Amino acid sequence: MRSHFLHMLLYSSLVAAFFAILMRQTLRDRLRFGAMIWLAMVGGAIILAYLMYPFPR
Amino acid sequence: MTDEQKAVSPKVWLALFAAWLLPGAGHLLLGRVRRGLLFAVIVWCCFGLGLAHTGRLALKDPRQPFLTTLQVVANMGIGPADLIARVKVYGKPVYRAYNRGPNASRDDRLVIFRERERSALSMYGTAYLWTAGLMNLLLLFDVWDIGRRRKGRVGK
Repeated sequence: MRSHFLHMLLYSSLVAAFFAILMRQTLRDRLRFGAMIWLAMVGGAIILAYLMYPFPR
Repeated sequence: MTDEQKAVSPKVWLALFAAWLLPGAGHLLLGRVRRGLLFAVIVWCCFGLGLAHTGRLALKDPRQPFLTTLQVVANMGIGPADLIARVKVYGKPVYRAYNRGPNASRDDRLVIFRERERSALSMYGTAYLWTAGLMNLLLLFDVWDIGRRRKGRVGK
């Protein structure tokens, strides 16, 4: 798989699932926390990408 | 804290060792089956993706000892699977970029390392490999907490 975007989604999903299971105890809390981490990672990367867009190399 | 609470049972040490040896096994030993299986799936997925995407198995380089040592530690976090992967990739279990001693030679490990580095997929693979190792190191702390009963049994 060569898509940077797909790797970002997959990587974020694995990391979010890991920390959700590690740090929260109930299913509901895990889903909320996992979604928060996932959104922070993916959303943060997309926002950063847009901020960097006007400054190519 | 009483002396009885301070003493760590051999089962906890065994669980810690098992957790490093085989991701998820420490939790299984402590009776946290579902948690252990979930962690095992995540960590092995990361490791498998890392190898499938020609991730770099870090070698300690004397020119950048600090950073490369951290990379090797991150790789080694996954346990003996890292050793097996090194034997498969480099032909022997190597952790240094160069041999030690007066007959120091680079053999072909750096060639293999750079070949993998040149792969378009390598940066993804390397991130997955480091993440798998670091996740497993974090799991050791979780096993320790469970073993010392600092974590409840809610939501196994």
